[in-house]
Formats: sequence, C-alpha cells, structure tokens
Amino acid sequence: MSTAIEIDDLSFAHSGADLPALERVSFRISAGESVALLGPSGAGKTTLLALLDGRLQGWSGRVSVLGAPLDPDRPPPSARRPDTGFVFQEFALVERSSVLRNVLNGRLGRMSPLRALLGSPTKHDLEIARTALADCGIADLAECRVDSLSGGQRQRVAIARCLAQEPRLILADEPVSNLDPARACEILALLTGAARTRGATALFSSHQPDLARRFAQRIIGMRDGRIVFDVPTSELNDDATAELYREVGPIPGIGLRAVS
Amino acid sequence: MAFRGFGGIATSGLIAAAILWSFATTDVEFSRLLSAGPRIADFFGRMFPPDPTVMAEIKKGSAETLRIAILGTLGAVILSVPLGILASETMVSPAVFRPIRTLLAFIRAIPLILVAMLMVGAVGLGPLPGIIAVAFHATGMLAKFYAEAIDGVSRAPIAALESAGAGPLVRLRYAIWPQMAPVVARDTIFRFELNLRESLILGIVGAGGIGFYIQTYVRSFQYDKAASVTIAVVVMVIAIEAINVALRRRFT
Repeated sequence: MSTAIEIDDLSFAHSGADLPALERVSFRISAGESVALLGPSGAGKTTLLALLDGRLQGWSGRVSVLGAPLDPDRPPPSARRPDTGFVFQEFALVERSSVLRNVLNGRLGRMSPLRALLGSPTKHDLEIARTALADCGIADLAECRVDSLSGGQRQRVAIARCLAQEPRLILADEPVSNLDPARACEILALLTGAARTRGATALFSSHQPDLARRFAQRIIGMRDGRIVFDVPTSELNDDATAELYREVGPIPGIGLRAVS
Repeated sequence: MAFRGFGGIATSGLIAAAILWSFATTDVEFSRLLSAGPRIADFFGRMFPPDPTVMAEIKKGSAETLRIAILGTLGAVILSVPLGILASETMVSPAVFRPIRTLLAFIRAIPLILVAMLMVGAVGLGPLPGIIAVAFHATGMLAKFYAEAIDGVSRAPIAALESAGAGPLVRLRYAIWPQMAPVVARDTIFRFELNLRESLILGIVGAGGIGFYIQTYVRSFQYDKAASVTIAVVVMVIAIEAINVALRRRFT
C-alpha cells in the first residue's frame, strides 16, 4: 500500500515562542486510511495539519506528502497544492459570495490561471462542484450567500469546497468543534464517507475521544507537541485517553485544559 | 499619574503659547472689524436680489464642474487600483509597499490648487488641467483607501484559496475582492463627493468649471450674479451629498 504521509523526526517552533509546537514527531499514514489526531487544545494538532498543507516553513526533520517531499523553507509548488485539501476550523469561506462560488473556489487550483481569473469554469468544473454540493446535502443552497447560513451549513460548504478540489489527501482541522453532537456525527460521517468513496486519505483533528473512536480507523494522541500514542482504534483504551487529558499544573501561556 | 499630569500641563502650555504667538506676531487689528459692519451690509445688499439672468452660465459651469469631478474620479480610480494593490501588505512585500505608501503620502501633501495651477501652465486653460489635477490629487487618498480595504479583509479565505493552489491574482479576485467591494464602493463615492467640492474652486485658476464665473462676477463687482452662482453651487453640493448618503447606506 502506498504512503500518503510520512513524517520523520519533525520539530517546529512558532517564531518568538519559548516552547516548540511540535517536537520529534514521527509517523506514517498509508493511502486510504482515516486517521484522527486526538489531543487537548495547544497539543500541536493545528500546527501539524497546517504544516502538512505546506503553509508553515522553518521546521526540521523530513516530511513527505503524497510521495513528494516538502521543502522546510518554501511552500510547495501551486501545481501540487490541489492534491491536498484542507477543511479549516473556522470554515474560511468568502462570506459575501454564494455557496456555489465558494465551492467553485476549490476548483481554482485545477483550472488554468487565465480561466480562473476570468471566472469561466468549464462544464466539468461545474459538474464536480454540483456533485460536491449534493454529496454534502446542500444542493438547494447553491445560490445562497454564505453570510445567510448557519454554522452547520457553513461547515458543509467548507467540506464541499474541499471535495471540489478533488484532493487525494483531506486534512481537516477540528471540523466539528463548532457543532452540537448530532451535527458533529453527521459531518464526520460525511467527511470520512466522502474520503472513502473517493479513495482519499483523511486526517482530522479532534479533542473529542468518542468522535475520534467512531470515525477513525487509527488514532494518534498528541500532547505538548509530541506523539503520546499511535494505535488502531480498537486498541485505544481509556487510560491512554485519560493520560492525554490529565490536568497539569497551570503553566502560563500553554493553555492546556480539560475538555468537557 | 504624576507623569500624565505633567504631560497635560505641558500640552496646555504649548497650545497657549501657540495662540499667544499667533496674536503677537500677526498684523491683526481688531479695530478694522468694527468698521467692517456697514461694508459687509453693503456687500450683502448688493448680492440681493440674486440676478437670475445668469442661468445659462450656471448650467454650463455646473455641467463642466460635474464633468471634471466625474472624469477626475474615474482617472483616480484607474490609477488607484494598481497603486492600491502595490501599497497593500497583503499583496506585496515591504520593499514594494513602503516606497509606494511614501509616494502616496507625498501626493496627498500637494494641494489640489497647486497641481491645478501647474497643469494650467502645462496643458493650457479649460477643464483638461482640472481633470488631470483632480485625478492626481485624489489618487493620493483613494489608493491609500484601497490598500486599507485590501488589508482589512479576513485572511482565512485567502489562506484557503492559497491552499487550494490559487495564485495571487486569483486570490485577489475571489477571496479579497468580494470582501472589499462594499468598502471600495463607499470610499469611491466619498472621494467623488470631495472631488466635486474641491473642483468648484478650480475655475479660479483657470482649470475649468463653475468657479470661473464666481471669480469673474466678484472681480467685476457683479455681486447679484455671483450670488446666483453661489446658490447654484450650494444646491449642487447638498444634492450630491444627499445622493451619497443614500448610496452609502446601501453599501454598509
């Protein structure tokens, strides 16, 4: 089975930070796997996902995504970026644009720059966007402006945009943290289901162990920028989870907290 | 607290010193104000009743002022789009936006009337120097506003489009523009209103518009005609302001 993500001895510190955001992280994810990154806020999940998306530079170690090594000093070439899709925690949608326009924005990296700039998507682009909308259950919202939508609807638009990109790897940063439990299950089922039917690899972060258990085949536990455990979902025991969320004494600036 | 107290006293002292200095060194004779009363009354007396026979000149002058303001604003928009992009920290590096911002500050510092006088010298009398002067002068402010509009948008959608593989211009078109469009519309309308007000005086230096008639009538002591033109100017400014208020409400 081919490899989707390979990380070896990765360390990274945000500029000006005292403590590293990621410390000696190593793991490998095979193509087609659904993996959850579990850990409290401040564990380094968002940093790791942004780094895999090519948005962070200045790290050390070796990282390879979809078979191509990432350069620690510069972002990946635009031609490679559509292969990695990202679902942002705060949706990152263009509020004043329509749902369809936002989903088509996911196609921009797949179009020629001129076609993208002129705003003339091909029939193929439109078809993919419509399919993504339908898969996310929001086909009827296509013409609505995003600023008129609810949180759950916005999350669906964000996922549809990611799917329209036709990524081979889907990275999702806390895709359900803003939703109530029932919506959270729907969205995660949608995300992991869409990844499976498209043969894409999915890596999503969460701070809710029960959701991670339900929707991932494998769970990587993170705390303080380190990997604490990396196990198949069936082998995850409550002690390991409890250890992940154990309260430490208050350390200013680290913002570790138990999750309800 | 003690420091703030000291700062407050120092500030008050400075302001008082500046006012005293202005009185002491300027040739201000308040006695002249006392004798001005009858003359001002005479001046207003000669303005009434306003002479309505100058309607043709008013129409011609207002239309020209309006054209100067419209074309001047158009020119400023055309110049401000590229300059605004080059002055924004979202789109370019500090090596580019710093010198461009300095250039815009320099343009803003040159008074419109000075630019107009230079342009009259360069291209001759008429509305053309006025249009060029308004376009040049307004660009200093409008390009700065556009840059601020670009920098004021939410960054997350820009990062999302970059992550999807979209280049800088495509990001500007689909992530930045939809967010900044209402701000650009509001700023441009605001600048148009300013351009109209400021271009009223252009006629005084021969750069076209209704100001020419005010100057002509005042210099030739035809105050009743000057009064008619002044009323027309006030009506025009109030009308444009009312239209702008209505438009601006739509864009917020």
